[in-house]
Amino acid sequence: MPIVLAEGLSKRFRVSDKQPGLAGTMRHLLRRRYRDVEAVRDLSFRIEPGEVVGFLGPNGAGKTTTLKMLSGLIHPSSGRLEVAGCLPQRRQERFLQQITLVMGNRQQLIWDLPPLDSLRVNAAVYGIDASEAKRRITELAEMLELGEELRRPVRKLSLGQRMKAELLAALLHRPAVLFLDEPTLGLDVNAQVRVRDFLADYNRRYGATVLLTSHYMGDITALCERVLLIHQGHLFHDGSLDALTNRLAPCRQVRLELRHSQPTGAFAAFGAVESHQGHLVRLLVPRDQLTQQVGRLLSAFDVVDLEVSDPPIEELIGALFTAQPS
Amino acid sequence: MLSRLQRYGRSLVCFWSTSLEAELEYQLNLAVELLSVLGNLAGSLLVLSLLAGPSRQLGGWSWNSALVVLGVYTLLDGFTSCVLQPNLSRIVSHVQNGTLDFVLLKPIDSQFWLSTRSFSPWGLPGMVAGLVLMGWGVAHGDHQPTAEALLIAALLLLSGALILYSLWFLLAGLSIWFVKIWNATEVLRYTLVAGRYPITAYPPGLRVLFTVVLPVVFLTTVPAEALLGRASVQWVAGSLATATLSLIGTRAFWQVALRHYTSASS
Amino acid sequence: MHAIRSALKRSSILRGGRIARALLSSQYAYMLEYRAEIALWALSGVLPLIMLAVWQGSPGAAATGLSAQGLTRYFLAAFVVRQFSVVWLIYVFEEDTLQGKLSPQLLQPLQPLWRYLAAHVAEQFTRLPFVALMLLALALFQPGMLWWPTPSQLVLAVLAIQLAFILRFLLQSVVAMLCFWSERAGALDRLLLIPYLFLSGLVAPLESYPAPIHAFAQWTPFPSMLAFPAALLAGEPVEISLGFLRLGLWCGLLWPLVVVLWRAGIRRYSAMGA
Repeated sequence: MPIVLAEGLSKRFRVSDKQPGLAGTMRHLLRRRYRDVEAVRDLSFRIEPGEVVGFLGPNGAGKTTTLKMLSGLIHPSSGRLEVAGCLPQRRQERFLQQITLVMGNRQQLIWDLPPLDSLRVNAAVYGIDASEAKRRITELAEMLELGEELRRPVRKLSLGQRMKAELLAALLHRPAVLFLDEPTLGLDVNAQVRVRDFLADYNRRYGATVLLTSHYMGDITALCERVLLIHQGHLFHDGSLDALTNRLAPCRQVRLELRHSQPTGAFAAFGAVESHQGHLVRLLVPRDQLTQQVGRLLSAFDVVDLEVSDPPIEELIGALFTAQPS
Repeated sequence: MLSRLQRYGRSLVCFWSTSLEAELEYQLNLAVELLSVLGNLAGSLLVLSLLAGPSRQLGGWSWNSALVVLGVYTLLDGFTSCVLQPNLSRIVSHVQNGTLDFVLLKPIDSQFWLSTRSFSPWGLPGMVAGLVLMGWGVAHGDHQPTAEALLIAALLLLSGALILYSLWFLLAGLSIWFVKIWNATEVLRYTLVAGRYPITAYPPGLRVLFTVVLPVVFLTTVPAEALLGRASVQWVAGSLATATLSLIGTRAFWQVALRHYTSASS
Repeated sequence: MHAIRSALKRSSILRGGRIARALLSSQYAYMLEYRAEIALWALSGVLPLIMLAVWQGSPGAAATGLSAQGLTRYFLAAFVVRQFSVVWLIYVFEEDTLQGKLSPQLLQPLQPLWRYLAAHVAEQFTRLPFVALMLLALALFQPGMLWWPTPSQLVLAVLAIQLAFILRFLLQSVVAMLCFWSERAGALDRLLLIPYLFLSGLVAPLESYPAPIHAFAQWTPFPSMLAFPAALLAGEPVEISLGFLRLGLWCGLLWPLVVVLWRAGIRRYSAMGA
């Protein structure tokens, strides 16, 4: 029984086309011109409870729009959508009790007061007993490594601490589905790691379903077994990250450090040469020939060090987005 | 049903206590508000006495009766500063900063949240001053109100407050469509100043305007008349009907506004 | 010839003229984007019109010493004067100082207050058509309400309105300077609004006040901000030279005060970490 069900989901926006300046204003006044922007086109996917799914895609791909449709903030133009057994756009109470949305570039905590005060408000709004709320706050604070920060005004916290407090406030009511829109935006490396660890821990403990959009591949690789790649509103890939890598890059990268430098062209027979600088060689070898070619390389040359890896997924995806103009 | 009511009640208490906490950090405000209210009152009384002239009456209303009208206005102005202004003028910043999304995601009615989220204690001196003026005007008048009259007056005051709320909500809610006219509520505030004086002080043309187009009459004149024991059935019924219709109107309006917001925003 | 031209270019007057033109045109383009908001601000200036409606039918009208037509013209004139002398410096200045937006302005060789002044002037230009529309609507509603002042009256009135605007700007600048010391200087401006409301003649012609209050008001800058220009515009007999002298003296008093407070305030602003 999937907890998120999307079929043929689409979203079109009408944007008015106005030229700048006084002449443009007059023209706009007399005759409106509109453009239709298709933010999301025919998206279909299913998510089972407990999954951690990542939405990948460049800016403007439609990730945030999709997430907002899933949380009921935007009405889809067409298609069928069901989350936690409810129609998100109706925003029923029992739906809202089961979901939460955290946005990396916006916050819901009261700026001038300590997070504890915002937590009190959330507890009242979600109908959580005071004692139960206290227990949950202690538990989550421990998981997030927050202590006296909860007593300091939000404006005095660092970005990382603020994000953690935001997560606490968002999870106080133990939602079954978490929508996270760029949760690690602007955080330093340590804070990013902590947030990722927390989310993984939370998913393990409570079996909550997590839908996450991010620009940082580290978030996706650390957390998501499954990725949905959205490009220009279309669903490009739905599966594991490895499957995506295989699909985007049928080759693997082989790095060799040789004891003696070899002439150029010596490696052409083994695969596509990416770079060849004296002792160091980088080759791209098709996956199906990998073991065979590696064996041949090891026997043909005096190899000091050999490393086999995937080309960085960022590069692959970046190449994909720049290459496909459709 | 009861638990839901409890939840809303608990939320309201929470909203207002956190709001007070944030506001009471600034003590200078209290001094300024007190001075402001006193200054305004002194000036208004002076102007009223100038208007009333040697005969000490305005638009057929005696001096003390006119004081009651001014008192009701001051009370409603204080109410505006306490509840209406801090909450409803924030709708436009919610729309601009995208934080309206967070309001919509809470399992609590968004109109309730947006209308009651904050409470500014700085309108309280005004409300107190208004009540004092009303009491003074009634006490020194030539007609002592019966308990029944007081009850009707309280009802009409509530009705007036609801009409005022609806006007504010309607204008503030327009920012969902037009962010650039956020100051429409300021226009409202400056126009409602007409409620300081009894409706009969205005020429007939404006009296119609202030009854049908901008129902100022229901805000101050009608409750004042009730307090002075002069309530007439038509006006009471009119006030209650207008209040009910306005509230229903705000609800319908908000549904339309939300539908627009959720289909047009990105 | 070339030497004279380059000398003129460097001359501060021409440079000032260029800056003024650039500031005003950019601010005007900026204000055009906010037409709707400015139209509403113009609409919110109806207080004199409401007061006119009350005064017209009131028993106290006789005590003002003005005929019915005189009363109408006075309040209409007050309406126009207020539209073109409104100052909102404190709101933007407070926000800019608190959010540090003042800092980039301080890095440029132009006193920031000129920018705010240019913004106000541009806003007045943007407001002009809406005020004209409102006056037109009034004329349709009650023909005979409007009048054409004589050319000399008009010139003097416009001059007085602009000086009144400058006076209000200077007064609010003094309060705005306090933003460097306190986070809530805006509240003080709210207090100043009360004497402006009552002592400037906005809600009641000053002649109707009891003599002691009227005399006291004359010692404040407030009548110069509204009553004097309004009387000029309405064609009421008024001591012209005395009125302009008062305007000039108050401006002359407040300007050095603003300069002094600005210098002290900037020192504090930079010391606090702009």
